Amino acid sequence: MSAHSHAEGHLPHEPEKATLEGRNKVLGFWLFLGGETVLFGTLFSAFLALRHQVLDGPPAHELFSLPLVAIATALLLTSSLTSVFAVHAMHTHRVKALINWLIITVVLGLGFLGLEIYEFYHYVHEGHGFTTSAFSSSFYTLVGFHGAHVAFGILWISLLIVQLMKKGLTVVTAPKAYVASMYWHFIDVVWVFIFTVVYLMGKVV
Amino acid sequence: MASNHSATEQNTKRHKVEGPKKHIIAFLFSVLLTFIAFATVISGEINKDFIYIILIGLAILQVFVQMAFWMHMKDRGHTFAIIGILSGVFVVFTCVIMAEYWAWW
Repeated sequence: MSAHSHAEGHLPHEPEKATLEGRNKVLGFWLFLGGETVLFGTLFSAFLALRHQVLDGPPAHELFSLPLVAIATALLLTSSLTSVFAVHAMHTHRVKALINWLIITVVLGLGFLGLEIYEFYHYVHEGHGFTTSAFSSSFYTLVGFHGAHVAFGILWISLLIVQLMKKGLTVVTAPKAYVASMYWHFIDVVWVFIFTVVYLMGKVV
Repeated sequence: MASNHSATEQNTKRHKVEGPKKHIIAFLFSVLLTFIAFATVISGEINKDFIYIILIGLAILQVFVQMAFWMHMKDRGHTFAIIGILSGVFVVFTCVIMAEYWAWW
C-alpha cells in the first residue's frame, strides 16, 4: 500500500489497481469468475443432455418466442456497455458520470429481470412448470440461476451507488466499482450462451 | 505480480488517450453478431447441424470480443485472469462434451 502513497485528493489514473489490496481483489475476482464459469458450464451441460426429454410438456420450439428473447438480449447487452462506460468514467475520475452510468446499468438490469419474470409466469401458464419434465427442470435451473445472478448484481451495484455517493471515489471504493462492472460483463457473457444454446438452438427444429 | 507496479505507471499514458470509442465499436460488433445469430435461426433454410456450428461460432466470437475489450482482458497484467478463466473453460468443455456425446449412449 505504501508503495503508492498519493497526495490528498489526487487519485492515480487506474485507482482500482493503485493498492495491493485493490490488485488482489481484481485477481481474486477473476479466479471467482473461473469458478462461476464451471457453475454455469455444468448447468449448461445438464441442459444439453436433457433438452429433448419433454414428456407431456410443450417442446422448446413451441414454447419460446424470439422477439421477447431479442428484447431481453438488447437490454442486457446495452447494460453491459453502460457499465463499461462507468469504468471509463472512473478512469477519468468523473464520480458523477460513474454513478449515473451505474444507475442506468441497474435500471436496464431491472428491465431484463422484469421480462424474465413475465416470461417464466407465461411459461407456467402454458403448462411448462418446474417439475413438468427433465427439459423444464434443467431450463429453469439454468436460466433461473442466471436471473438470480442478475438480481444479485442489481442489489450489489445499488448498494455500491449509495456508497459512492457517500464516500466518493477513493482507492478503496474504486476496486469495488471495477469488480462489480466485471461481474456485470460476466452475466452478459453467460447470457450470450443462454440465448444461443437455450433459445436459438431450441428454435431450430 | 511485482511487475504490476511499473505496469500501472505505463498504463496511465495509454488510458489517457483511450476514449469510449473502442467500447462502442465492441458494442456494435456484438449487436451485429447477435443479429446474424437470430437471422440465421429465423430464416431456417439451412441444415440443422450447420446452424448449430454457426450459432456456437458466433457466440464464442462475441464472448471473445466482450472479454477482451469490456473486461480489459487484452490489457497487460491479466495472465492469471486468463489462466483462471481457461481452467474454468476446460472443466466446462469436458462437461459439455460428456453431455452431448456420451450421456445417451
